[in-house]
Amino acid sequence: MADFEPKIVAFCCNWCSYAGADGAGVARLQMPTNFRIIRTMCSARIDPEFILRAFSKGADGVIILGCHPADCHYIGGNYRARRRISLLRMVLEQYGFDPKRLNLEWVSASEATKFQATITNFVKTVKELGPTPLVKVVDRKDAVKEAE
Amino acid sequence: MGWWADRKKKKEEQKAAQATSSPAKTAAPAKAPVSEAAECSADKEPVGLAAADLGPLLPGAPPNGKVNLAIYWAAGCGGCDVSILDTNERILTISDMANIVMWPIAVDGKEKDIAAMEDGSITVCMINGAVRNSENEHMVKLLRQKSLIVVSYGTCACFGGTPSLANLVPGGKDEILDYVYTKVPSSAAFQSKYNSAKPRIPQTSTTVPEGQLTLPVLYDTVYALDQVIDVDYYIPGCPPMQESISHLLKAVADFAYNGVALPPKGTMVGITSKTLCEECPRKKEYKRITEVKEPYQVDTNNDKCLVDQGIICLGSATMGGCGAKCTRVGQPCRGCYGPSPEVQELGSSAFTAIASLFPVTDEDPTMGEDKVDDIMSQIKDPLGYFYAFSMSKSLIRRSVKEGGQ
Repeated sequence: MADFEPKIVAFCCNWCSYAGADGAGVARLQMPTNFRIIRTMCSARIDPEFILRAFSKGADGVIILGCHPADCHYIGGNYRARRRISLLRMVLEQYGFDPKRLNLEWVSASEATKFQATITNFVKTVKELGPTPLVKVVDRKDAVKEAE
Repeated sequence: MGWWADRKKKKEEQKAAQATSSPAKTAAPAKAPVSEAAECSADKEPVGLAAADLGPLLPGAPPNGKVNLAIYWAAGCGGCDVSILDTNERILTISDMANIVMWPIAVDGKEKDIAAMEDGSITVCMINGAVRNSENEHMVKLLRQKSLIVVSYGTCACFGGTPSLANLVPGGKDEILDYVYTKVPSSAAFQSKYNSAKPRIPQTSTTVPEGQLTLPVLYDTVYALDQVIDVDYYIPGCPPMQESISHLLKAVADFAYNGVALPPKGTMVGITSKTLCEECPRKKEYKRITEVKEPYQVDTNNDKCLVDQGIICLGSATMGGCGAKCTRVGQPCRGCYGPSPEVQELGSSAFTAIASLFPVTDEDPTMGEDKVDDIMSQIKDPLGYFYAFSMSKSLIRRSVKEGGQ
């Protein structure tokens, strides 16, 4: 599994974590490049469907980064988000995914080093877990088309 | 009262004005069954989709001869077949309009009869049930080839329904067969009594002195109908309401007798444009819940929203059209009408809403994620609950195995 490079989707909230990621870039902090950032206005904007879609398209891990509790730009968005993510993690576990593939962390705008550490750790965790266990189900009608 | 009441009032006035200015529009509700009929009846207390006006009994055979109608039963419970009988005495006049060439539960048409027909000679084919095995797949593909219009009838055909929960068995068909024929107490007792050497599990083909016998091959994944064949119309519901059937019947009858164009392909028949909450008569007070309850644990108040009373109801994420039959009698919505058109899957939008009902506490800024997990783990079996009717149409679709590759 040494040469496995995971594909990771990182959802960052506009006000804290995205600025944190920006800070990490400006400060030229070194970190793995396995993640793709998607900026959302708030961590509560991340519909669980986005995350499930990321997994269904073959993401090996999804990380959600938001403002620290009590720091949300919209006052209570991250409290909502953490409840949803917790429930989603239960759902993913029932599907058979390792719940560690979905991570929720709080990174503020000034915490560039925490962003670096979080991403580095998460990439390491996912590398240890290996590629996504997702089974791509092909529709029966598509299967026939492929055979033709 | 407030802004909402003003808005509602304005909308009602607009509707009333529309109804008086264009009476011709209401005469053909079947052409746009999705919204028009429902909005006309939603004056005081919304009751879901109104039935289409089918007029007097059908006037004998259509001018161009009877149409052919086929109804097929794939992986479903048979409730959909029974629901067709909900059309009451109307069912008797259907035979004036149509030859029923296949209906396994009621008439004698066989697979070879269908195979002998010309392509496209069946006008309407209604298929209920999910596609679970090779026989289902063969029959639905055959019927698709012979039919002009295929209607995906019922929740199992539209979204996979309850049979699709079998997708969550990690071992697939082998595990299911093994469990059902050797582990279930009654079959375990049978196997140990009669087949103690080696349990006997049905095989897909067996050679007996008279020749070879075959059984359909079970699939690991349960498919919704439109994942196997092209589908023209969808009628969701477990089972579909009589109102939905009347809209389809009206559309077909108009087509057969008067040559009125059929609704566009992909139309969902029998749904309204809003979610179930719009039709539910219960009052919502936007309460937060701290405890999840089952309906039997609560002495339910018949005027208040079930969610306010701690019962998980999926009405906010489910398409309306059923008239809120379940919530009217104190049972929560389980989502058989499927997701709203804006989202792909019902489960995630339902639990997004439900998760937000848990109140933010004073401890929230300081508590860790473990505590949040404790709060949320009150919801037992979220996957089974939120995806009870739509697993085939969910994004992940079947269970996975870590490290199994």
